[in-house]
Amino acid sequence: MPTLAIDQVKVGYSNLIILDDLSVEIPEKKMTTIVGANGCGKSTLLKAIARILKTQKGAVYLDGKAIQLLSTKEVAKKMAILPQSSQVPTGLTVYELISYGRFPYQTGLGTLKVDDLKHINWAIEATGLNALKDRSVEALSGGQRQRVWIAMALAQDTEILILDEPTTYLDLAHQLDILLLLQKLNKEQKRTIVMVLHDLNHASRVSHNLIAMRNGAIIEEGTPKQVMTRSNLKAIFDIEATMSTCPFSNNPIYLSYTLN
Amino acid sequence: MINKPYISTYQKNRHKRKVYTILIILFFIFVSFIISMNTGYIRLSPLQLLETLIGMGTEQQNLTLFEFRLPRIVISILVGMGLALAGCVLQGVSGNPLADPGILGINSGAGLAVVLFISFFPSTSDVPVMFLPLLAFIGAGVTATLIYVLSYKRGEGISPTRLMLTGVAIAAGISAAMIILTLRLTPENYQFVAVWLAGSIWGSNWMFVLSLLPWLLILIPYIFVKARVLNILNLGEVTATGLGVNIEKERLFLLAAAVALAGSSVSVSGGIGFIGLIAPHLARQLVGGKHQFVIPASAALGALLLLIADTIGRWFIQPSEIPAGIVVAVIGAPYFLYLLAKSKA
Repeated sequence: MPTLAIDQVKVGYSNLIILDDLSVEIPEKKMTTIVGANGCGKSTLLKAIARILKTQKGAVYLDGKAIQLLSTKEVAKKMAILPQSSQVPTGLTVYELISYGRFPYQTGLGTLKVDDLKHINWAIEATGLNALKDRSVEALSGGQRQRVWIAMALAQDTEILILDEPTTYLDLAHQLDILLLLQKLNKEQKRTIVMVLHDLNHASRVSHNLIAMRNGAIIEEGTPKQVMTRSNLKAIFDIEATMSTCPFSNNPIYLSYTLN
Repeated sequence: MINKPYISTYQKNRHKRKVYTILIILFFIFVSFIISMNTGYIRLSPLQLLETLIGMGTEQQNLTLFEFRLPRIVISILVGMGLALAGCVLQGVSGNPLADPGILGINSGAGLAVVLFISFFPSTSDVPVMFLPLLAFIGAGVTATLIYVLSYKRGEGISPTRLMLTGVAIAAGISAAMIILTLRLTPENYQFVAVWLAGSIWGSNWMFVLSLLPWLLILIPYIFVKARVLNILNLGEVTATGLGVNIEKERLFLLAAAVALAGSSVSVSGGIGFIGLIAPHLARQLVGGKHQFVIPASAALGALLLLIADTIGRWFIQPSEIPAGIVVAVIGAPYFLYLLAKSKA
């Protein structure tokens, strides 16, 4: 049984069903990216995996157990979530915000113990935030803030990281910066990463596994080489693309495209 | 792990500075406490005060200090703490820095209960006084429950925005009902209601202290324990879920705690607004965003503000007095506008 399996789930908001009878397995210790057009249900799938949305039928299994039946605090020790946009709280330093990642391990008034401090310091180191750790979070740029949120998720010390469009609102250099950081975490720490990305070339470049969706269903799933094909892009986005190969990852990328 | 665990000196100093800030506020409360004991229609000089405190005062001095002034000071401190903490919790739960216990219909609900009672039992004006705190508390509780139920949506639970909007609508409706009811009151009853609504800390005897104290003794430690949860709720729903907070459950219990705190406070003080808004806000400015510090700082600032307001109210137009709620509003309203003007959204 893989760590994370989605089994025949039905998910939606009130009467609007977005996903129906959808099953997919997330490979362990790999980077998986969900791609697809706006409104195809990719964020919904990510939210269902992250237990933000409750499944109306079927279940998400974490280590073989239905996630809704596990205590939310136990899940938080195995799975960290980075939403598309986060509320920036006022009056906190970078260090303080990152220390909130230790919440699932704390009891009582929340004094930080040696183990907590170790993980916080490691997360600061891994995200290169040492020079910024005493700054106010409000004073940071978008790219720096995204690093802080990632650091908070790292301090949570989970095997699985779930990220909803972690590169949105960032410029080209900062987008890649975040993606390479995630890639490094996956390589060195063997963390399972599941994310939604809009940029197909980025998805192809860093992922082991791509899940392509359309109208609430999975059209194609596999390595970037299997999924990033001309015919698939047509099926997913209705576009006519010219394909090429990324010189850095040797995975397929699109060079340019036109509407079908 | 690369590093030996450590906390930077900056973080340690930041921590220390916050502790000192709270101690300084406590010192100010102490000073205000002494000044407040001196203040009122009957002046007590510091020497007389000392004599009375160690049991050597005249009968009149004893009566003034122990039966009127001290219970009133203690109530100001307790109510100030209660309202400030209620506001602190509401702002934390809703993620809205402009939330105030008034938004959950606590003031208006308590006021309506009082007006209803007086308009139905206008002649028994001596009896209801003892019942009023209980009635006000029930009124606050019923209104808050109504607002909660109305803003609950199946499958989604409570959204803070819906809660706020429902609260505003219900409060407006209740105000209208109250105006209609007060039109039928006798002049004396009308005056009592008006003074009650203005927040006069009218229930100033030891019995009211005792009726308020149990709530605070239970709820304040509860809120302290929930400091960590409030920190996380401030990060938004998704992040909070990801960190393992059971949002629905925590929100419900914290809201209930805020209603109980504000309801029991308002029941002995009358309709005092703004403390729940200003105190937590000032606290965050002084000690930052961590609720482990915001909670004690809010409680201390709330106590300090209301104590000062009540003392000013007693001193300003002697021999009459201005209700503390009015003094708070005179300071609070401009501050609220300042906050609105400063907030980015």
